[in-house]
Amino acid sequence: MAIFCQACRFLITVEEKSEVWRSQETRVAEIKTSTFFWQKKKAPKRWLTQRVAGRKLQASSSPRGAPHLITTSLRPDHLTCSILLFSINFPTNRKHVLLGIAGKDFVILAASKAAMRGPTVLKAEDDKTRQLNKHTVMAFSGESGDTIQFAEYIQANAALYSMRNDTELSPSAVANFVRGELARSLRSRSPYTVNLLLGGIDPVSEKPHLYWVDYLASLAPLPYAAHGYAQYYCLSILDKHHNPDISLEEGLKLLGLCTDELKRRLPIDYKGVLVKVITKDGVQEIPFDNDKIVRSA
Amino acid sequence: MDKLVAQYSRPPHQNEMYSEQEQQDLTASVPPLSLKFSLPPVDNHSAFLRAMTDDHSNPSCPIKLAHGTTTLAFRFQGGIIVCTDSRATAGNWIASQTVKKVIPVSRLSRGEDKKSDKPTPGLLGTMAGGAADCQYWLRYLSQQCTLHEIRHKRRITVAAASKILANLTYAYKGYGLSMGTMLAGMTPQEGPALYYIDSDGTRLPGNLFCVGSGQTFAYGVLDAEYKYDLTEEEALNLGRRAILAAMHRDAYSGGFINLYHVKEEGWVHHGFDDMNPIFWKTKLEKGEFSNVTSAL
Amino acid sequence: MTSLIGQSENIGYSFSEPTSANVKQHSFYPYTDNGGSTLGITGSDFAILAGDTRSTSGYNINSRMVPKVFKIGGDDETGDGAQILLSVVGFAADGNALKEKLDTVVKMYKYQHGKPMSVSACAQRLSTILYEKRFFPYYVHAILAGLDEEGVGALYSYDPVGSYEREQCRAAGAASSLIMPFLDNQVNFKNQYVPGSGEGHALEPVKAEPLPKETVKALVRDAFTSAVERHIEVGDGLQLMIITREGIEEIYHPLKKD
Repeated sequence: MAIFCQACRFLITVEEKSEVWRSQETRVAEIKTSTFFWQKKKAPKRWLTQRVAGRKLQASSSPRGAPHLITTSLRPDHLTCSILLFSINFPTNRKHVLLGIAGKDFVILAASKAAMRGPTVLKAEDDKTRQLNKHTVMAFSGESGDTIQFAEYIQANAALYSMRNDTELSPSAVANFVRGELARSLRSRSPYTVNLLLGGIDPVSEKPHLYWVDYLASLAPLPYAAHGYAQYYCLSILDKHHNPDISLEEGLKLLGLCTDELKRRLPIDYKGVLVKVITKDGVQEIPFDNDKIVRSA
Repeated sequence: MDKLVAQYSRPPHQNEMYSEQEQQDLTASVPPLSLKFSLPPVDNHSAFLRAMTDDHSNPSCPIKLAHGTTTLAFRFQGGIIVCTDSRATAGNWIASQTVKKVIPVSRLSRGEDKKSDKPTPGLLGTMAGGAADCQYWLRYLSQQCTLHEIRHKRRITVAAASKILANLTYAYKGYGLSMGTMLAGMTPQEGPALYYIDSDGTRLPGNLFCVGSGQTFAYGVLDAEYKYDLTEEEALNLGRRAILAAMHRDAYSGGFINLYHVKEEGWVHHGFDDMNPIFWKTKLEKGEFSNVTSAL
Repeated sequence: MTSLIGQSENIGYSFSEPTSANVKQHSFYPYTDNGGSTLGITGSDFAILAGDTRSTSGYNINSRMVPKVFKIGGDDETGDGAQILLSVVGFAADGNALKEKLDTVVKMYKYQHGKPMSVSACAQRLSTILYEKRFFPYYVHAILAGLDEEGVGALYSYDPVGSYEREQCRAAGAASSLIMPFLDNQVNFKNQYVPGSGEGHALEPVKAEPLPKETVKALVRDAFTSAVERHIEVGDGLQLMIITREGIEEIYHPLKKD
């Protein structure tokens, strides 16, 4: 595919590399550029990010900088064969733990309590969750600054909607709203890089809902979900031990299995997790034993 | 003047024949596991090798090598369980779904060809990273172990065997080898012994290791239910289930589940089974993998 | 990348100067890809090794008759008396060097031991030959074929640095990604189920059985005629070598020349 960046007047072709989901965070794109443009204009390095679902490509001048508008064109004939490779440095912080488990009549959201910056733990009691309405909670991780700004923006807009229309948004409505806002921001000059888990109970059907949303605005309803390195360790545990009819006690036990494994294998002290449980009666923070000592095999 | 001429001239075709050494190598009756490797005529041969073969740093490299794996091994009261997947990938291409990633070590006439229910004496090595590296060096290790057996009239300990391998990988550190291997065996001196050796030169004894791109997923399942007192049946099932978890979540792992049990008398093979029926059996009978649905 | 428009001069014709001057490349690049594809299938008493005969560099066709399948350890230059076949695809010069080396080794083995080298021994030796160039690899995908001690067809496939495996069938080279899925289905009966044997996951998979020689020959031809249709580096001719107890039979079958 050839793409033309209107902002920098660059024509570049991009060959999409198929990818597996585990490389979601390190996307690799192969860029073929016209050597003519490349040589004459002494182009700065361009960074590419790639969207999985929409197969849209996005060029920006830096990993965190302003992306340019892009239109696709079908004229690969301009292009010769200089090849550059970029692997995108994923800006969100994978050291943060986000876990979500949906059960029979509840959703558990767990978020690590460490607020980190570089080598420092700034705070060990951080709350990376926001309640969006009576029965919906959002947990977030990612670029510091973006996270809270985005979460509170969503929180405010959900509240505004309720006030204007005198009705509560269902979890699926909130999730789709969040996805829409993220997708819009992704195409703006400075996108939010935030990964989210959204859990809630539908007030009408009283069914639990859990949504996984990443910073590229992919939305997936799932029975259990994780973000960051926690994915690599916890998803296989949840694959084995989860079933949709578990009770809250079993759900918390399952969460224990996950956090035990993280304590055992992650070389990071994430300072334990803050656990929020959403039931039909609302949202509740549950005391969780983070001081348990786990012995490795 | 003659000296000058001699310096710049040479008989024609001097380098076109095999050198004497090469002729000897070719005619030698024993294939040399020679430790003589030809190197490219460049200053930095490891950078050259990386440019030519490392598809992680250079996806358009010309020579794609087989990579990607999940392997695990753990000690328990009844011996050691060794379990692997069977997929080999070169970039995104699945080069093979039937790789035997468990390699019997310590006898050059290896038991892999004949089927037998009786335990086969010897060690087991697992293969993660470069397929050729593991195959070649575990074979080299077999040779050394057999020699040890002949010289000392007793089987080599796992500690000694793993040290031979670790010394080797350390000697070749920086050359671009890629291997993460586990050695499992049971000897009268050590009991069940398990070592992890990799191409950095690391050598670690331990109870439980998972190696490869799917290691974290296998660790997840394994750690949650592992204890030293597992029964043989439980241990075999846990090993199999941990590999299944990794195959499910890691795209670079898949194919067949290859399961071994190392006992006092030697190792026993417990099957090379297609993961697909096992996955569906696990899902439908036990209700696991609840995120997999057929609904749209 | 799919190209819909006719080529302009900016596209890298094989005869034009490479235009990638701006890209830092490793200055020492001793490899090229000569294209083509090879394929091997075994049966209960035979093994077939086949390869197309086209040799390319870039979009340029160097020759329409460069064989990729060789007899190893024959009595003379015609290869008569050989009991092992080798196919190499990738960089033809490396392939040739590899073939010559293995040929020498197998011949020397015969002279020194007074018996021909077994396929399994030859397979292991080929692996070490490849691995000796671990840090400066041969850019080839090799396939070795013969009959094992029981007279059953044996096929060994290799990666460029010598990891190897005995298999029922293997395709290598440019069109391997086109041919291999076809072989999985038609030789190993992957994803084939016995009709009416059950519902959904209870369906019984078809058991893979060694195929008769004529079926395999037809499969090989089909694989190559199809690959020629969809891959630019494959074509011109199909060279087929069939090894049985009676010896090696060589068949040439023309393919499309475009």
